[in-house]
Amino acid sequence: MSINEYDRRQIAGKDQPRISRRALLQRSACGFGMLGLAGMLHAENPLAVRQPHFTPRAKRVIFLFMHGGPSHIDTFDPKPKLVADSGKPLPFKRPLTFAEGQVGALMKSPWGFKNYGQSGLPVSDLFPHVGSIVDDICVVRSMVGDSVDHGGALLQLHTGHMALTRPSMGSWVIYGLGSENQDLPGFITIKPTLAHGGAKNWSSAFLPGVYQGTAIGNSGLKVEDIQGEPIAYLKNKGLSTDQQRFELDMIQKLNRRHMETRRYDPDLEARIEAFELAFRMQTEAPEAFEVEKESEATKKLYGLDNPTTRDFGWQCLLARRLAERGVRFIQCSHSYKWDQHSELYKRHTSNAAEVDQPIAGLVKDLKSRGMLDDTLVIWGTEFGRTPVVQGSDGRDHNPYGYSIWMAGGGVKRGFAYGATDEYGYYAVEDRMHVHDLHATLLYLMEDHERLTYFYGGRNFRLTDVHGVVAKKILS
Amino acid sequence: MQSLWVFLTLSLTLPSLSAAGSGVAVIEKYCTACHGVSKMSGLDLRTRETALKGGTRGPAIVPGHAADSLLVKAISGAAQPKMPPGRDALSADDIAAVREWIDKGADWSGGKAKQSTWWAFRKPVKPAAPKVKNAAWVRTPVDAFILEKLEEKGLQPAPPASKLTLLRRVTFDVTGLPPADEEIRDFLADKSPEAYTKVVDRLLSSPRYGERWGRHWLDVARYADSTGLDEDHRYPDAWRYRDWVIEAFNEDMPIDRFIRMQVAGDLMAPPPGADVNREGIIATGFLALGPKPIAQQDKKQMLADVVDEQIDVTSKALLGVTLACARCHDHKFDPFPTKDYYSMASIFASTKSFSKVGNGGVSEMYSAPLVNRAVYERYVDYTGKVKKLKKSLDEIRQAESARYSAGPRARLADYMVAAHHVYRDNADVKAVAEKEGLKQDVLERWVKYLTPSTDSRPHLDAWNKAEEPSRRSAATRYQGEYEKFAAEWDREIEVWRKKVEAAMKANMDAPPPPRPDVIQDPFFREVSFGKGPFALPEEGAEKVYSAASLARFRQLKAELAEVEKHPVAEPDMADCVGEGEPVRQRVFVRGSYNNLGDAVSKRPPLILGGEEMGEVKTVSGRLELARWLTGPDNPLTARVFVNRLWQWHFSEGIVRTPNNYGKLGMKPTHPELLDWLATTFMEQGWSAKKMHRLILLSNAYQMSSETSDATAKADLPNHLFSRFPRRRLDIEEIRDSYLMLDNTMDWKRGGTLQTGVGTDGENSAKRLSLNPEDYSIRSVYMPLRRSNLPNLYNLFDFVDSTTSCEARSRTNVAPQALFVMNSEFVGARAENLAKQLLAGEQDDHKRMARAYLHILNRPAQSGEIGDALDYIQTFARKAPGGDGKLRAWESYLRVLMGSNEYVYVD
Repeated sequence: MSINEYDRRQIAGKDQPRISRRALLQRSACGFGMLGLAGMLHAENPLAVRQPHFTPRAKRVIFLFMHGGPSHIDTFDPKPKLVADSGKPLPFKRPLTFAEGQVGALMKSPWGFKNYGQSGLPVSDLFPHVGSIVDDICVVRSMVGDSVDHGGALLQLHTGHMALTRPSMGSWVIYGLGSENQDLPGFITIKPTLAHGGAKNWSSAFLPGVYQGTAIGNSGLKVEDIQGEPIAYLKNKGLSTDQQRFELDMIQKLNRRHMETRRYDPDLEARIEAFELAFRMQTEAPEAFEVEKESEATKKLYGLDNPTTRDFGWQCLLARRLAERGVRFIQCSHSYKWDQHSELYKRHTSNAAEVDQPIAGLVKDLKSRGMLDDTLVIWGTEFGRTPVVQGSDGRDHNPYGYSIWMAGGGVKRGFAYGATDEYGYYAVEDRMHVHDLHATLLYLMEDHERLTYFYGGRNFRLTDVHGVVAKKILS
Repeated sequence: MQSLWVFLTLSLTLPSLSAAGSGVAVIEKYCTACHGVSKMSGLDLRTRETALKGGTRGPAIVPGHAADSLLVKAISGAAQPKMPPGRDALSADDIAAVREWIDKGADWSGGKAKQSTWWAFRKPVKPAAPKVKNAAWVRTPVDAFILEKLEEKGLQPAPPASKLTLLRRVTFDVTGLPPADEEIRDFLADKSPEAYTKVVDRLLSSPRYGERWGRHWLDVARYADSTGLDEDHRYPDAWRYRDWVIEAFNEDMPIDRFIRMQVAGDLMAPPPGADVNREGIIATGFLALGPKPIAQQDKKQMLADVVDEQIDVTSKALLGVTLACARCHDHKFDPFPTKDYYSMASIFASTKSFSKVGNGGVSEMYSAPLVNRAVYERYVDYTGKVKKLKKSLDEIRQAESARYSAGPRARLADYMVAAHHVYRDNADVKAVAEKEGLKQDVLERWVKYLTPSTDSRPHLDAWNKAEEPSRRSAATRYQGEYEKFAAEWDREIEVWRKKVEAAMKANMDAPPPPRPDVIQDPFFREVSFGKGPFALPEEGAEKVYSAASLARFRQLKAELAEVEKHPVAEPDMADCVGEGEPVRQRVFVRGSYNNLGDAVSKRPPLILGGEEMGEVKTVSGRLELARWLTGPDNPLTARVFVNRLWQWHFSEGIVRTPNNYGKLGMKPTHPELLDWLATTFMEQGWSAKKMHRLILLSNAYQMSSETSDATAKADLPNHLFSRFPRRRLDIEEIRDSYLMLDNTMDWKRGGTLQTGVGTDGENSAKRLSLNPEDYSIRSVYMPLRRSNLPNLYNLFDFVDSTTSCEARSRTNVAPQALFVMNSEFVGARAENLAKQLLAGEQDDHKRMARAYLHILNRPAQSGEIGDALDYIQTFARKAPGGDGKLRAWESYLRVLMGSNEYVYVD
């Protein structure tokens, strides 16, 4: 594989701005980087920081993923006409949907909307805290995806394709830009769901394994279960640090002796370095996860003092700590709570209560630390929900028009982009397909058309053959 | 049909005159591979007529006017896309020759119009073994081909590996395991010239061989035990395919048969004496066990994606071509037009991969019984009856349960207030029940139900928030709500009861009772059904049934007992494919099923001789495809397979892109060797074990992994196989060998640890694959949940199991080092082995000597034991507690287990 990839590129005669694949696969000494690898190997660190094709506006991404599909017309996309026509039948043919059997009437939002800040952008009563930071965010009201089921939609959102194996956007980002901290993974996903694509949503697929996301726990675990060992094998349960150093010195002694009679094999040296890096990592990485060391005021800002907001607050605060330490792509997941086929009012209320304050806390905290300018925060979901009712009090999936928002790193602030039709069913103005979101996200960091990888007979990129950068939202 | 006609017509009208005009020679060198029989973009440059007619972009040449000819524009870069794609531009001389030739009128005499000019698409011809200078080095014919290339460059092959190096190498290679201590001693003691041959034969006949080599094939077949993608439903019987693959290798099943069975085993005749082709059905798991987007609501798209996946795995795994690239447009680099893609799609579209597609929701994968129809139908009939009776019984229980609650429900508020007193104030439940005149068992269940928990129960929020003095009124409100829904439920029951009575009178099946979820209120449902406080007690429930229900209940129970007297065992099932509805496939223009193009026939790509598949007599054409794949004229199948065998022995193939023999793949480093192996393979009845012997007994295989400076520098990437490539162990080898060290390996063969069906909750950790660190069977037998493969496997570059994997990467990353340093799995192996050594030998020297032989498969060298024992002494002094010596041994054994010497095979 190693040599193959390298040579294939030579054969293809492609302009490859990246380090050679052969070097990468044969010699890479570290999953998280290879700081300290000297001389010839240093230049070939697959996770070394790389200069993109132009100066990036964002250095890192924090993706706040609301799994299940929060309703855009009940959060960031008010629809007066829907209020007026509530109870009437939908005046056009309903597109392919998830619960095919049921056809409900139009249903107005049970929440009111207020205009916030100087921009006056409307936010529903579900998100008063987010309302308070509205002048820092750019709402996109014209998202479009291709899948009406969660699995396909999650895979498309995370990898660009709903049915075929593709690398995750976080993998593409660190493949393109490298990692700024070699003691931590460059791409971390906190408490991800194992469903709807599971690990494929943070997988490097055919990119080399070093670009794979590292999962911190999963959505089935409590914060307390994760804190003990956030990254696998990071702690030795029997040996003191001294004993372990003593043991490691012996391994290295044997390894160097072994290498004396074996030449022309950089792998052997790379593995020696991997052990040194591992030793340093286990000493230094745990500190990044010590969220409890934050000040009381900071913890309060994220809602760690409140059982309702504690889980997501912990995720957001951890995300900030990781961002500060140079982790390139961080995802927080509010996992599979937003799928309100019924009980929209009750459940959206309790869901929003869990995330509203932590989200606003994160944006405020990043801003006060001067990090918001080069950190792109994305609040997003796999799809929105239908303006027609499902059952008596639910809404079905709607990938044809929904909302997300972004903040920081190169996007306009206090700005709304795109629009859905008067009921909020279809995106009709400045449509932003998931591919366009990916193109725009990469554009803030790297050129999506030039970030390619040759595999299985052709060049691939996150946006494949699609993707238009939404230039109107750039600051 | 039309293309066949064109092909035949052309064959008849081919000019076969003397020397080709220079323009024709250039065209045949660069163009006709794609613009020949495959007619990419509709263009066929094999004859003057077809060139003048041109393709979708118009005529290719205008005789006499080179400057106006599209061909000249394309090769000179004046028109996009520039031709040929993905390759160096034509030389100025070649372009000039074409110009001149067109200007002179484009005389086509002398054209050869070969099928293909691309090496891989021509049938292999057996070459003679080359003559070499150092004939003494040639042990099997393989060596002559390797040595020839080395001698051409003036290089020497590496010296022979030492006996122990060779034993460790070949044992890991053939079985995925290290040699056992006795095997090392026996081999060292055996001074006969056949010693090594004996080892090879012993290993090839071990059942461990299939467990290692079957797994190689499973990489290529992208094997996993669930669908992955959106819902990750389990394939409950996938393991049968995996076990079949392992056994096929162990039995040395001819590989042509092995391939045919995987494509069409279900259509092949059962073995003599059997009425079902059990193995054949299981083998089609190759097509069935891929990733499937089963919740895709656009079902036409889902089916097209599943067909695409089957084309992808079949073309890459068996033919070494990337045909799936031609789904939306003609292949950019290889001569596969979309018509070729959809001709293959026609075969898989007519194949059954789902038992129920549905109009929405989650589709059900196809599976088939491994017994004959009649036996299977008896089983279906039996389970159907049992299921129906049990359902009816359950329904009576549910209905009676609701009726039962009607009694105490008048005092619901009292129960709630009393329960609160118990769970909040720790009051004695018995005393409270007596005082309030409530039933104690019912009150206990109320306590259990109302005690606050972390579950999200928003319908109890009002109750939990209610404080004195308003608690009583809150309880009364709950009772009011409850009664409203209870009345609704009573009405449902009453309606049902009347229907039952009518049905009984008419001697008909009773209709099922209403389901609890017809009532929307979760409080009512939780209180009245299941383990709710007003639900029927779990024991002795029948005592409180109404007379009508009791009669019906007893009747059903008697019927059930009668049916269950003659149970029918569940037959074995397989996750497989079958014959579907015949599909008249058309090209999907740009890959969209809404945009239909020409109709196509069922056949493989033309450039590979797809027309020779012949008439399709089965529904899908899979049987014909299977025969074509392994037919004598197929240019690729044998080459692709022997190349894999070579690659799995030498870490790299002769073609180093084993899934891509097209233009963007690599050409073989030793084309004659590849063709010699491919033809010999076919001559010898496609026996993998015969090929193993040819390779393993060669001198090429027995070379050292170290060589002279000159050779090493001249052949750094080892393209000439001038030395044996050192390799890191795969994760299976690492884990399995660790389990052997402390003798905890469970050698159980086959079967599955996977339980359950379908998938799991969206926030459930059950979605993870079982953790291999918690089990001691061989790694190949661990079930693989495709969406969440074992972390340990991912860490050590296991395959991704979503597409055919041609070769694993071998990385060296820090988290792998952390696994060695810190994992409990490695620690436990080291600790157990330390205990065994300390108990087994009396003397530390002997202990350490054993440890070296056991772990590193070689005797300790001078000084090593002394160093090791010094380490142990120092470590033991540092270790607190009474078990310093044990901890010190454990530590040193982990050192050996984590060393490069252990993890690499020379």
